[in-house]
Amino acid sequence: MSEFIASAEGDAPAPTPFAMIVGDASAMVCEGDVCYIPDLPIA
Amino acid sequence: MRVATAGSAARSTRRAHDAVGIREQMHPFAFIVSEPIKIDIWSDIACPWCYIGKRHLEAGITSLGDAAPEVEITYHSFELAPDTPVDFEGSEVDFLAKHKGLPAERVHEMLDHVTGVAANAGLDYHFDTLQHTKTLKAHELLHFAKEQGLQLELSERLFRAYFTEGRHVGRVDELISLGAEVGLDADAAREALDSGRFAAAVQADIAQAQAYGINGVPFFVIDGRYGVSGAQPSEVFAQALTQVAAEKAA
Repeated sequence: MSEFIASAEGDAPAPTPFAMIVGDASAMVCEGDVCYIPDLPIA
Repeated sequence: MRVATAGSAARSTRRAHDAVGIREQMHPFAFIVSEPIKIDIWSDIACPWCYIGKRHLEAGITSLGDAAPEVEITYHSFELAPDTPVDFEGSEVDFLAKHKGLPAERVHEMLDHVTGVAANAGLDYHFDTLQHTKTLKAHELLHFAKEQGLQLELSERLFRAYFTEGRHVGRVDELISLGAEVGLDADAAREALDSGRFAAAVQADIAQAQAYGINGVPFFVIDGRYGVSGAQPSEVFAQALTQVAAEKAA
């Protein structure tokens, strides 16, 4: 598994071939060896 | 819920229909057949949000009840940490604390939080027994399973093996055993992994993700027209599918 980083919002990419559905901007996502955690205060 | 995997599509769709009791409408002169909505998912077995996102998607489809459109799901490879060794001695806490230099207390807090989110999605995560590993061979096996029409089944089995059961999904023997549980032929699966026959397909998926600008997973592409990033709530998936179904019917 990957490192977790507390985050108030996910870093959603913006691919070009399709329209993005934003939904919950703080939805959980992993990038590289980092997984973002919403709603968890940064220590 | 109407779910199928791509690859051997007819067989998969039929099995998915059998599993969920799809009622096919019959007419004396013709079958009424609607084209399924394709859902392409970039994902990694070692991604905790990917398994949770899978459950949220499934919950979103189920929430639509009889109005749920038929969907065809294809998993695509996204290797989050290619430099991860196949064998890592130590627990997930050890990995994060030692390899990443995070305080152990902080690691426990983070993993507890993720475990709670997983539990809310109906998943039972056990980070204390999780075996950190490289997922490249797992991705190759998922491509082999796609060819066999068993990708969705294998995806679920690998996620559960990794996050719930503490199985080692980086070793070929373990992967073949897990594949056999969902119906893959063990000898054929071993040949597929030993030969590296699907290595190019894995890299093609990763290249496609890069071309699309996908930096993180899970990432869902619905019917080739809408992108959804992250483990969104089930309501987001339900709304997206309803919208796509309406657009296709228009």
